[in-house]
Amino acid sequence: MNPISRSVKIDGVAKQAIEIGRNRLLVAGCLIALGFAAVGGRVIELSALRDHNEPNVASSSGTTLTTGRADILDRNGMLLATSLRTPSLYGDPKEILDADRAAQRLVTVLTDLNPAEVAAQLKTERRFVWLKRTLTPTEQFEVNNLGIPGLHFQDEWRRVYPQGPLTAHAIGYTNVDGMGLAGLEQAFDDVLRSGRDPLRLSLDLRVQHIVREELARQIISFEGIGGTGVVLDVDSGETIAMVSLPDFDPNGSGDIPDEAEFNRASLGVYEMGSTFKIFNTAMALEEGTTTLTGGYDATNPIKISRFTINDDHPKARWLSTPEIFMYSSNIGSVKMAMDAGTEAQKTFMGRIGFLGKLPLELPERGRPLWPGTWREINTMTIAFGHGISVSPMHLASGVATVVNGGIKQPITLLRTDAPGPGERVISEQTSHDMRRLMRLVVLGGTGRKSAAEGYLIGGKTGTAEKPGGRGGYKKKSLISSFVAAFPMNAPRYVVLIMVDEPKGQKHSHGYASGGWVAAPAVKRIVERAAPLLGVAAVDENAPEIRRELMIEVPSRGGKRNATF
Amino acid sequence: MAVSSFRSDGLNQPELTFGQKLASLNWMLVLLITMIAGIGFLMLFSAANGDVYPWAVRHAIRYGVCLMVMVTIAMVDIRFWIRSAYIGYVLVLALLLLVEIMGEIGMGAQRWIDLGVVQLQPSELMKIALVLALARFFHGVSYEEVGNPLTLLVPLLLIALPAVLVLRQPDLGTALMMLAGSGAIFFLAGVRIWKFMLVIAAGLAAVPIAWQFLRGYQKQRILTFLDPESDPLGSGYHILQSKIALGSGGMFGKGFLKGSQSHLNFLPEKQTDFIFTMLAEEFGMVGGLAMLGLYVLTIAYGFAIAIRCRSQFGRLVAMGVTTTLFLYLFINVAMVMGLIPVVGVPLPLISYGGTAMLTMMIGLGLLLGVSIHRDVRIARSGVDEE
Repeated sequence: MNPISRSVKIDGVAKQAIEIGRNRLLVAGCLIALGFAAVGGRVIELSALRDHNEPNVASSSGTTLTTGRADILDRNGMLLATSLRTPSLYGDPKEILDADRAAQRLVTVLTDLNPAEVAAQLKTERRFVWLKRTLTPTEQFEVNNLGIPGLHFQDEWRRVYPQGPLTAHAIGYTNVDGMGLAGLEQAFDDVLRSGRDPLRLSLDLRVQHIVREELARQIISFEGIGGTGVVLDVDSGETIAMVSLPDFDPNGSGDIPDEAEFNRASLGVYEMGSTFKIFNTAMALEEGTTTLTGGYDATNPIKISRFTINDDHPKARWLSTPEIFMYSSNIGSVKMAMDAGTEAQKTFMGRIGFLGKLPLELPERGRPLWPGTWREINTMTIAFGHGISVSPMHLASGVATVVNGGIKQPITLLRTDAPGPGERVISEQTSHDMRRLMRLVVLGGTGRKSAAEGYLIGGKTGTAEKPGGRGGYKKKSLISSFVAAFPMNAPRYVVLIMVDEPKGQKHSHGYASGGWVAAPAVKRIVERAAPLLGVAAVDENAPEIRRELMIEVPSRGGKRNATF
Repeated sequence: MAVSSFRSDGLNQPELTFGQKLASLNWMLVLLITMIAGIGFLMLFSAANGDVYPWAVRHAIRYGVCLMVMVTIAMVDIRFWIRSAYIGYVLVLALLLLVEIMGEIGMGAQRWIDLGVVQLQPSELMKIALVLALARFFHGVSYEEVGNPLTLLVPLLLIALPAVLVLRQPDLGTALMMLAGSGAIFFLAGVRIWKFMLVIAAGLAAVPIAWQFLRGYQKQRILTFLDPESDPLGSGYHILQSKIALGSGGMFGKGFLKGSQSHLNFLPEKQTDFIFTMLAEEFGMVGGLAMLGLYVLTIAYGFAIAIRCRSQFGRLVAMGVTTTLFLYLFINVAMVMGLIPVVGVPLPLISYGGTAMLTMMIGLGLLLGVSIHRDVRIARSGVDEE
């Protein structure tokens, strides 16, 4: 017999039983399918449709889950600002048994609190009064040890600036509630609040430190009331250092004096004086009305209406263009500007960015002051840096444009790895001429004290009288500055040092000019910072470098006077 | 030609040869079962933080042994099982009694018999023994007889004896599974629908009374189920952690060995009852559904085998086993996802645990046996062909 029997003989009852069995099998199948649908649906619901976040076990104590403001780092990742979770002390007056006694005991631990004030606060009808914000762990421990009922702690985020005052003006500060009130803290308040990624600045903490130290040294040495120092990357427009003195410690809780909070580098605008001859000369060369071999007669002072324009170091003769720049001749500069014309000067000042606010990220940006109606007299004074006020950051940015090949790059405080194309302001040739002229100032002019061996510094001094109360100038109140770039054969950085109201000293033979006050600081900054910035010293007498920076200084109608 | 040991003398239908049986073995089903056990191996490997010890390797060995048991059972003539159904039932019942008398305390309830080398959980074996006994009973009665309420007294007694013993251990989950599995056999055997209605109504009426008899922890589990957040650190802890872990897996999971909730021991009992949670955390929704898919296929095979079987006994055994497998799976998965209260039911073939695997593999062996012997006709008496 075939083992798999195909012949089936089923009686009626059995058949009915099997039919019912099959029907019920179907029902059972449907039930099981339903069961699977239920668990399958639940799997989808739990894993795909629910919020996937795991509960944060570390913060299960019921405190808020807010993260602090994002950190601020310098270009090398050094911490400039961070947020720490710290306890703050508050009282619930309803729970306080004896406000006076509680206050008396509390001030034994928190000595900076006033017992009368604390007692008054604890007697109010409110349920919440801040007693002290951001306690140290020790203070918290001691307050806890007092065991006063009704005193509670609430964790808060406290902004901490590990570098103290070093980058105070760039970074600014926040209030106790973590709201940015000044500097980049204010400018990037939203980003810092929401962002987890730290803000990466262009500042180099090491260079910042050097600039601050050297600037402070000169201010003390010359009894100045303040000063500013700036280092810019000429190609990217990045601010490597920005110091304004006096400064303040953003960690401090007390009021910051206005004088200290004022950012001289970006908010202050000053008549820059002779450093503006860089732009005057560049403008004249660019216009073609002046050449490096040409010159002007600087024998006599220029008289215009009630003013007389004199030279500080009068040569009383015809001066070639390099001589005018090197000896900082006002008379020659004015004649240069007059040849180029008022319109050309105004256009140039606009293009280089001196007629508007800087594109810097800071809220503290000064608006330049310039003549509403640009008359001839304005053209004359602007030629040597009076009658127009710009911020030191403007000046540094303008010099970067002049020496980097003529491209204006918007300056920034944020690290920029790929700068934009920039905007051409002067030609490559003019830029090259200006480098040689600025080098000349250091080799044989007013900037000799900045000559850092091997770094090919070039620059221009400036010694401006500060405006007096009644439209005149105060002979004794100076703004002494030196703006430089290095290395001059292929400039990479601009360094600006400016000291406010330096006084002549015995060691400077009574001088308080830019060459005496600011140039030595620039020299030391370059000597210390250049190796950090990857600029190596070179042999200044190497033939290829001499050739690059060689300039003829003609005298008296084309007769060669000297070659540098 | 035939393997004599598998011959069941006294039955007049010639038996298939061993080779024929092996050839007609449902290899797809064997493959499916092996795949499920393989998932178990992977998950136990992960549960031990990427180590085959202590669980995965023993799981694999057990599976190997159980696989042989399963195939052997499948080879045995189905008429042997119908003849020994009652004997087996009595034996397992005796074991249950033994547990009652001298069982060891394990996990707060007496469920184990220590046989020296193996610890046996007779309540698990009873699930299969009960299926066989009920199947034999209903095989022996005609459809008309099923309609007679008095006829049902015997199978009701068959259920009641072990159910009461298991409840006394106490093991509510297993008792309920026995009831549900038996109910399925009653239903498939043609017990009239109104009787089910009656039983369900009576059961619901008995809930308040039964509540009195529940142990403290059983009451707590049910209350916790109704509101797990009420006791997040106590009874509700398991299920909340389980849901968190499941949810954290997302669509595709965190990756093998990367289930942080499981590995950081937020998830309790991850190698046994809550292994599905771990699977869903590491392989996400897709992994969870894929695993359910394997079970769906296995159960679909169970149905197919039941439908194609000619004998009432075979059909009821097939359905009993299939239903048991489904109940295991459903109760476990629904439990870890918070759909039903926490009852200690493992995930078949995946959870670590010997007896549950042995039970399931014996059952699946019977299922495969039914498939092989689907055309064997069995007399009402279970002993002789009509």
